[in-house]
Amino acid sequence: MNIFLRFGLSFFVSILLFCELSAQQTRTITGKVTQSEDNEVMPGVSVSVKGTTNGTLTDVSGNYSISNVPEKSLLVFSFIGRQTMEVPIGNRATINVQLEPNVTELTQVVITGYKTEQRRDIRGSIATITSDKFKDIPVMGMDQALQGQVAGVQVTQSSGTPGGGISVRVRGSTSISASNRPLFIVDGIPVEDGALGLRDFGGQNDNAFSTINTNDIESIEILKDASAKAIYGSRAANGVVLVTTKRGKSNSRTTIEGDVQRGFIEVVRKPELLNSKELLELQREAVINGGGDPDQLGLIPGVTDAINTDWVDAVLRRAIYQQYQLSARGGNERTRFYTSINYRDEEGVQLNNKFVRFSGTLNLDHKATDKLSFGNNLMISRTRNDRVKGDNFLDGVYSGAIKSLPYYSPYNEQGQLLGPNSPGYPGFPNFNPVGQALLPRFQTFTTKIVAGLTAEYAFLPNLRFRTKVSTDYNGVTDDQFEPSTTAIGGYLPSVGGKGYGIYGSGTYITLNNSNLLTYTFTKGENDKHSFDFLLGNELLQRTERTASVQGRLYPRDEFTYISGAGAIVDDGGSFLVSNGLVSFFGEAKYKFKDKYLFGATARYDGSSRFGRGKRYGVFPSVSAAWRISSEDFMKAYTFFDDLRLKASYGFTGNERIGDFQFLTQFGGSNYNGATGLSPSALGNNNLQWEKTREINVGIETSLWSGRLGVTLDVYSNLTSKLLNTFPLPTTTGFGGFQGNIGSVSNKGVELSVNAVIVDRVIKWRTNFNISHNKNRVESLADSLPLYRGYEASGSSNTNIIKVGEPLGTFWGLQFLGVDPATGDAIYRDNTGDGTISADDAQVIGNAQPKLIGGITNTFSWKNLDLSVFFQFSYGNEILNFSNTTLLNSGQDILNNQSKAALRRWRKEGDITDIPRYQYNPDRSEEDNPNTYMSSRFVEDGSYLRLKNISLGYNVPKEWLSRFKVQSIRVLLSATNLITLTRYTGADPEVSTLDGSTAAQGIDLFTFPQVKTIMAGITVGF
Amino acid sequence: MKLSIKKIFLVCFAGWLLTGCQDLLNPKPNNILSADIVLTSPDDVPQVRIGLYNALRSTAALSVVAGDLTADLAIHNGTFTVYNELSNKRILSTNSAAATFWAGVYNVVYIANFIEERLPGLAGVSTTDKNQLLAEARLLRGYAYFIGANTFGGIPLVTTTDVEANSNIGRSSKEEILAFALEDITRAIENLPDTATTGVGYATKHVARAMLARYYLYQSDWVQAEQFATQVINSKQYSLEPNFSTIVAKDFTSESILEVGYTITDDPGTSTYGLNNIFVGRREVIPANSFLLKIFSEESGDRNLTVSFDASKQRGNDNGFSVAKYGTSDEDNNNIVLFRLGEMYLIRAEARARQGKLTGTDGAITDINVLRTRAKANTIVSGSQSDLLTAIENERLYELAFEGHRWYDLVRTGRANTVMTAFSSNWKDTYNVWPVPQTEIQRNPGLRGSQNPGY
Repeated sequence: MNIFLRFGLSFFVSILLFCELSAQQTRTITGKVTQSEDNEVMPGVSVSVKGTTNGTLTDVSGNYSISNVPEKSLLVFSFIGRQTMEVPIGNRATINVQLEPNVTELTQVVITGYKTEQRRDIRGSIATITSDKFKDIPVMGMDQALQGQVAGVQVTQSSGTPGGGISVRVRGSTSISASNRPLFIVDGIPVEDGALGLRDFGGQNDNAFSTINTNDIESIEILKDASAKAIYGSRAANGVVLVTTKRGKSNSRTTIEGDVQRGFIEVVRKPELLNSKELLELQREAVINGGGDPDQLGLIPGVTDAINTDWVDAVLRRAIYQQYQLSARGGNERTRFYTSINYRDEEGVQLNNKFVRFSGTLNLDHKATDKLSFGNNLMISRTRNDRVKGDNFLDGVYSGAIKSLPYYSPYNEQGQLLGPNSPGYPGFPNFNPVGQALLPRFQTFTTKIVAGLTAEYAFLPNLRFRTKVSTDYNGVTDDQFEPSTTAIGGYLPSVGGKGYGIYGSGTYITLNNSNLLTYTFTKGENDKHSFDFLLGNELLQRTERTASVQGRLYPRDEFTYISGAGAIVDDGGSFLVSNGLVSFFGEAKYKFKDKYLFGATARYDGSSRFGRGKRYGVFPSVSAAWRISSEDFMKAYTFFDDLRLKASYGFTGNERIGDFQFLTQFGGSNYNGATGLSPSALGNNNLQWEKTREINVGIETSLWSGRLGVTLDVYSNLTSKLLNTFPLPTTTGFGGFQGNIGSVSNKGVELSVNAVIVDRVIKWRTNFNISHNKNRVESLADSLPLYRGYEASGSSNTNIIKVGEPLGTFWGLQFLGVDPATGDAIYRDNTGDGTISADDAQVIGNAQPKLIGGITNTFSWKNLDLSVFFQFSYGNEILNFSNTTLLNSGQDILNNQSKAALRRWRKEGDITDIPRYQYNPDRSEEDNPNTYMSSRFVEDGSYLRLKNISLGYNVPKEWLSRFKVQSIRVLLSATNLITLTRYTGADPEVSTLDGSTAAQGIDLFTFPQVKTIMAGITVGF
Repeated sequence: MKLSIKKIFLVCFAGWLLTGCQDLLNPKPNNILSADIVLTSPDDVPQVRIGLYNALRSTAALSVVAGDLTADLAIHNGTFTVYNELSNKRILSTNSAAATFWAGVYNVVYIANFIEERLPGLAGVSTTDKNQLLAEARLLRGYAYFIGANTFGGIPLVTTTDVEANSNIGRSSKEEILAFALEDITRAIENLPDTATTGVGYATKHVARAMLARYYLYQSDWVQAEQFATQVINSKQYSLEPNFSTIVAKDFTSESILEVGYTITDDPGTSTYGLNNIFVGRREVIPANSFLLKIFSEESGDRNLTVSFDASKQRGNDNGFSVAKYGTSDEDNNNIVLFRLGEMYLIRAEARARQGKLTGTDGAITDINVLRTRAKANTIVSGSQSDLLTAIENERLYELAFEGHRWYDLVRTGRANTVMTAFSSNWKDTYNVWPVPQTEIQRNPGLRGSQNPGY
């Protein structure tokens, strides 16, 4: 290190000496070149006298000196990625310039792991989304902002609930039981993903990302291949998403921007259900087919169907969306800032469902001296999520509304809500969904703080040290109360009986420190050897503290909190767990003649989640690129700005399993009021990371000065040592232990095209991406089928994990049609034993799409701009598990049925796909083959969605000048306006088991996506 | 100047790293204990003892599910597949109750073996204390094997905590298991206390004797069954509650011999095998009409308090009745009585009747009438041996319904086929034992091909 430093210092001093000497000669110009946005010095900038061969380069401090400059000539400053500047020398001897960035796709600076790099030098696969891609779409969180924008990134919203769960998969699914979520890093700190709330709402969770205001985000980088993400080591297997927030610009006037958005939200489509008359006719038919008397069961025409309630309409509304943001940014030579406050209020379409967020940001950068600079990032938000139950909850709102019989009404004649114990009201399972929406209180409050402090010291302009300390603080409070007029609070005595309340809180804190040393230098004539080194370490600690208390038997519904109510507290707990990560990493890059590029990274991670022997792991990568366009033989093809072949190979890991799973454990236990110790888990000292071997080969090109850009990547990844429970026979005293049990592969192709199709008065830009991923379970240590998803009648479970099949495979009987003679379902008898049983089950589909992608067309004409964004998923299947209830073949008469039931088999000779209805009160589902889980419920889930269309108008500046207003932009934007799909459920973008990989794509009364239509205005001062 | 800044910085940085890393990578577990350090200190002895009983408790609800729901007492009224299969007599090897019961048995066996392996070498614990906990461990292991063998037939005989060995282990015969159980229980008696200082939920000599009474009854060893039942009855440790309603409604009654208890903080709540949840909360199963006729018969007396009625629940197949022995929704009454004095009278009555001792002070009739009188029902005056055996079969139903006896009784007396085919046309002899759980066969190579016949 000392050698480098001394070498650097002597170099620096000699340059200074040289400058002093030359300044004494005549007509020599000296100066300094810096970057316009942050005043950083720019070494290597070409400085020449226009029209001559007289030229030089700036030194490591950005200084230059050029002699023999004639009078009245122009100096030309040029640098890759910067706008070329021509400056008349006049009679000055010193000319300092600031070069503006030249933002084309090619020269864009990309945030990579811990550094930045020009896009043209990328040897792997990194995608960038800038804020203009999502600024006109009312996205809640940064995960939603990724949808349809990037090849290889699949984003699926689990439901249309505001602030709800969203699944993000980068290049497929790599894990069965450990997390499949990418690592999200905001301004250098890994942030909480997934659910923060402690309460499950029928499979649907809240979403930590909804606490971060996307309007404060400048850009999002998605690291997709080993060369880009292996520097994140044991956490990188699922991809890494780097989020950079907005910062001030130096030497710019302060701009203040106000932004208002308001709109309304409706459900994309409603499920089609029977009305009272249709349902009554069906139920009477079912009872008669079962040999019963419908009159005796109270199914009497003219009486039973006297009321016809559309329950779905009754629980839905047109919801209001509003968002207000005020921000300011600016800076002088030494200090720059960005600050904002934001208020977002999004109602859910379900009654009483609402998400409110209040957030603020302050990002500062300050240059103390030429060598020392520091900065901070601070983001604080507070959210309130008014939730409603859904999906597989018997007493869910939307789910209840779908199932509820239209024979009943939400209100009595006095306009009071009917409850489960109201006289004449049916009760189980027909809880009044309107009451279930309006009466309980399910609130989740979240406080999030992302804060960091960075200091950077330049020992030399090319030898820099940076340290960063940051935290991600998340505090969550769940406040839940269900009064005695609700299902849980009133009808089910074992749970509530007389009111039921839960109050829970959790804090999740990550502390992070990273220290980096970077060193760059060039050598040889024309600086043909270029070196770039990075060395760093990182410490990470995450602590989780939770507590909750549960109360029952509240004296009156007016007392909704445990204290003061004297409610019985019969369950409570508190919990603390923490884990740590200690890492060292480095990167070395070498470039020869700007033509041959090489890179290598490695990270050494130690994680507290693994046993002593398996605690440390090394995750290396190597990469190379060849810029063909710089070769002599390509000289003739001048339309190539860049043509580059690239390849990378490396390893990443996944350490996201629970803590202490390597230990054989005893936990606390009770007996007759005494406490003691019981064996709780069997350990595994050999437990280790999931390891993914990644290969990426690609080609990137830019043509006609950026008019057309094409990126094509092919990858093949193999994840081995899959973490999952290794099942044991219980004769061991345990059901299993966490083991590394198998491997799964992801292979795929990704294509992105950016084109400026028309560039005249009308400008037409197209961004298109499409990708294909093939996921396959390669091996499993155990021959037992691993069932996932829901239990199903007629076969074990809805999902299976099986060698040779992808994750998310559906399992069940193969439905062959309805026998026209009997009206019964016919299934394939795979065993050939003449009977249909669980042994005949087979793979009946899978939820993984064959193709995903998006296309955005942007048109601008004068002050108008129009953006049309389509997003699609092709070849994925959905298990319409709702239909096991909504087309139940008369298994019960307690649930409304889908309109499709009108096609049911009714008499001999009917050709249809819906079996006959027959109701026998004591017949179990197992005894009723027409209810069996089969391919009858698996549907094509492909869709093409007009994700967003937005029309903007920038009010001409000349109209604004007298109002002291710099800019006004008016916006009309609509989201999810049109969806083309063959899926018969309300919407194909569903996942009732939010966050599940092995059981994705199941629709069980999942609340569908919503469409938003909004107007906005942005005023800049 | 610059060099010194750098040096200071590097020194600080390195020092800080070295101290910080160890803490980061070795967070202290806060709510778990590594097994390596359990039973390495005398303080752990009472803790692990609770763990042992906690494991016993995990089998208790399942013994009720097996003993009553496999039989003719209840019908299905809910949505859980496990109860549907049991009630409709279409039990599959995938039934999760079978897997849970099997696992419960081996949880007891594991912790008992753990104690047997670790405790003898533990310094600082008195021999008396060691012997007592070892006796308790053996007693509960013996009971676990006894109930396991009667539920599943022969099962693997696991005597160590060796995970590898116990992952591949075949079935021993039912006789071998029962012999092992008998030895465990018999050996335990010596070192068990006369009374448990910690209360009625813990093992004593009398608990062991009550187990032996039931053991010998199941083995048709009438002399021994009578002898051990008499020992328990004559111990004067237990007394019959004057009112049957107390048996239904209260925990830890004066006739409770072994009762596994829950408090409000650890009750099983809404779990699949929480009896209060199954019988009262969800009413997954409700008393069958044929059972109601019997429990409301004159000779049953006020033992009809075993069920409760709510007219508002009557609808379709739902007769409105619920099992009342596991509390009401507001009460904490999930306790499960494994042995109580009433059963001892019935064991002795049956043993005596089988031996031809029908009348007189040591006759079966006297014992039956003890319970009849308490139930405010007609007493028996006389009857033939077979009349009395029938009466005792019914008496056990009135007295012990939903306490985990009926199915075991019908099977051991050879009456299952007759009684059960009358109850359900789906009944077959296969159901005289539960299936070996399918997952066990799949995971344990030693069990391949040894499923019980008919499953």
